[in-house]
Amino acid sequence: MDRNKILLNIQRNKIKPVKLPEPFYSAEKGVNKVSLFKEILLQIGGDCIEVNTTEELNFLLHNNFKNATDLRRNKLLEKFPSSYSKESLEGLKTVILEGQFGVAENGSIWVNDSNFPNRLIPFISEELVLCLDSTQIVRNMHDAYFKINNAISGFGVFISGPSKTSDIEQHLVYGAHGAKKLVVILSHENILK
Amino acid sequence: MTNHAHRAGRFLKNEERAAWHDKTLWMIRQKRDKMALDVPGWEELREQASQIKRHSLSKLNDYLVQFEEQAINNGAQIHWASTAGRLNEIVYRIIKENHASKVVKSKSMLTEECGLNPFLEKKGVKIIDTDLGERIIQLKQEPPSHIVMPAIHVKKEEISELFHQKLHSEKGNYDPTYLTATARLHLRQKFLEADVAITGVNFAIAENGAIVVCTNEGNADMGVHAAPIQIHCMGIEKIIPRTSDLAVFIRLLARSATGQHITTYTSHYLKPKTSGQMHIVIVDNGRSELIGKEDYRDSLKCIRCGACMNTCPVYRRSGGHSYHYVIPGPIGSILAPHSNSKKYKDLPFASSLCGSCSDVCPVKINIHGQLYRWRQDLSQKGVLSPIKKSIMKISGKILTSTKMYDWSGRIARWCIEHFPRKLIYNRLNIWGKERELPEASRESFKQWYNKNYGEGGKNGQK
Amino acid sequence: MQIGLFIPCYIDQFYPKVGIATLELLEKLGLEVYYPSEQTCCGQPLANSGAEDEAIQIYNKFVRIFSKFDYVVSPSGSCVYHVRENYNILPQTDEVNRVRQNTFELCEFIVDILKTDDLKIVFPHKVGVHQSCHGLRGLKLGTPSELIMEHYSKVHRLLKNAKGIEIINLDRKDECCGFGGTFSIFQPDISVKMGKDRLDDHKRNGAEVITATDMSCLMHLEGIARRQKREVKFMHIAEILNSNRL
Repeated sequence: MDRNKILLNIQRNKIKPVKLPEPFYSAEKGVNKVSLFKEILLQIGGDCIEVNTTEELNFLLHNNFKNATDLRRNKLLEKFPSSYSKESLEGLKTVILEGQFGVAENGSIWVNDSNFPNRLIPFISEELVLCLDSTQIVRNMHDAYFKINNAISGFGVFISGPSKTSDIEQHLVYGAHGAKKLVVILSHENILK
Repeated sequence: MTNHAHRAGRFLKNEERAAWHDKTLWMIRQKRDKMALDVPGWEELREQASQIKRHSLSKLNDYLVQFEEQAINNGAQIHWASTAGRLNEIVYRIIKENHASKVVKSKSMLTEECGLNPFLEKKGVKIIDTDLGERIIQLKQEPPSHIVMPAIHVKKEEISELFHQKLHSEKGNYDPTYLTATARLHLRQKFLEADVAITGVNFAIAENGAIVVCTNEGNADMGVHAAPIQIHCMGIEKIIPRTSDLAVFIRLLARSATGQHITTYTSHYLKPKTSGQMHIVIVDNGRSELIGKEDYRDSLKCIRCGACMNTCPVYRRSGGHSYHYVIPGPIGSILAPHSNSKKYKDLPFASSLCGSCSDVCPVKINIHGQLYRWRQDLSQKGVLSPIKKSIMKISGKILTSTKMYDWSGRIARWCIEHFPRKLIYNRLNIWGKERELPEASRESFKQWYNKNYGEGGKNGQK
Repeated sequence: MQIGLFIPCYIDQFYPKVGIATLELLEKLGLEVYYPSEQTCCGQPLANSGAEDEAIQIYNKFVRIFSKFDYVVSPSGSCVYHVRENYNILPQTDEVNRVRQNTFELCEFIVDILKTDDLKIVFPHKVGVHQSCHGLRGLKLGTPSELIMEHYSKVHRLLKNAKGIEIINLDRKDECCGFGGTFSIFQPDISVKMGKDRLDDHKRNGAEVITATDMSCLMHLEGIARRQKREVKFMHIAEILNSNRL
């Protein structure tokens, strides 16, 4: 009823067709995607650690993030299905996830729920660590959505730095509701491949 | 004195606070400028965004139907609400049917517009706003004063006292980090307990039924992923055709709103979580009417970034509450009279028509043009004061008649020159309260010209 | 080329020297200038108050008086903007179109039509340029600070060659002064606050003289300045451009 009412009213007020413009393209020359990504990530309060090999990565994780919950490997994913209680997730201090790709123009990283069946995981922990392959950084959001190619899955999110707010007299504070800290481990392993 | 003018006068009385408000919002405008400068093709991007929105509005039915089909395929439930009241009833029904009682809500100007919170509270449903700024004003029992920074008018000392009273935080501790941490703990509890999470919608994508929500705090996601039931409330105008179109808007939104490249979280909700429910309420509440109004249709392009407020010299010096409408500032002033022309007749006049708002609008709404148009429409509707109307009629006659105009000018100048100061600068002389009148000139330009050039004189009259 | 000179109502009544400077300048530039003394007003004060329907008779009078000239030139950005933009509600006869297309503000007329920007001005003072909104954003006399595009300013172009001049930089290059026509009466508190803030900006940056393309802005700023007994002087752009050795 409301549905028909609304659609009928829109129809009644119908306007002349307006053409959908051609997709936007801007010729941004000479952008070093990796350095831009790093620069902006740091500006927005994220941390960036660079590694060159899988060995280096494992060493780093083992030493600096030994108490973290590593959710990059599938068998651990089974431990935290979407039906797992939120209270137990609430206890997570540091979580490590795989980032699918990064966006240079805004330092963001795309993850979707094929990475983490329980959707609370990227938000509920105190600290979030995202592992990103440095060859998987696109220039801007146009390239990003092209890469996603409409395959968002059930839920996907661009994460750009730690959670933040300026609602108290415009003072920037990290850790409003989501992660207080975001660490990106940028791997250059595939650069030479 | 009109409503806005009166409230603005009160706002300005606290000089220190008004100066802070002005300076802070100007700083955000400057951050926006810096961002825009760094994006190659910024102006083309704005034009693109404007065209995509215009196109979407011209095919709105098709896109709404497509969106509904896709969303249902994804497992979401779609509801349609033609009025504010219907939105409130639908949301309440979903809550009741699921025996829910605890609700969290992330920022949604639409639900503000429809009065969802007071409606639910009357029905005994506990609803918590989870955006920090919104939580502050919810505890203060005040409306938001800015659509992106709802508590911009509140000082940290006030927040500290408020949190001490309501959340038992330390008295006298107004460190923003401490206060934010207090709110985080308090609201974390609410997220985990909630049965229902309500969000607004920044963009709805027709091609795949996706709902896109942008936040810095992560409160939309905490709510939606923790609660078994998620409800997304969207105005019909939030539809865009394709995911690729989203790129244009995401690039413009945060840069225009807060001077950030992008919000911390840009979340895309398509399917409900396992054993969860996903509801989408599509709301009209006057929007379909607005499509039919050629002069004002473009106001539906709005993506609620608030850039117009930050740049508006009047908004900065009067504060959001002076507009006494759910959405303040320039965009509010062109939307409000559509909802109630009598109540909001003062708003299109709360502007010097400087045009800065139209220049910063990421979707190129001709805001100052619409403000001007509203002035004419309100006058024709007979909504403006009869005194004002008669003054205009008289002025019209005077300015049309060369003789009357010349003589009125002569009389005015004579009065300024000869009347005692006390008489001129009386209480009725609004200009004269804080300004001197122009100095009296003996002769007008016209008199000087006729004297020196004369009729058929040096250059003659043509 | 026959120029019709339009002198806005408030300049006619309160600042005739601005009209005189405009006339003298145009004559120095070798132009045939006529001032039809039947003129009154462009109708903007009524239209801005919502009384467009009462203003139409004024619009028609304006068109009737000025349609015979090749160009209509006026020392007022806002009046010219009003004619070019808001006379669109009149039936668009040849007369109306002619007037709408050929009415120019003084600076843009000199730069775009006369194609000159060196008026041999001598003006050894620190000058603050107030970029009146209708001229700036409406007539595109310059780049507004909001837009990302190549920078230009017709007013600055005319001033920068002046001997001895120092054009100061403002903190807020193009914030509105708060006059806004009847806004100054119906929203007096905000209007005055905006004006005071402009004056403070000019003062902080050392302006000795404040100039603009619109005397209405200057009338408002000067009104506040005189009440506050500030030292700064006000001159319409026509007066500065007319202090030349042409």
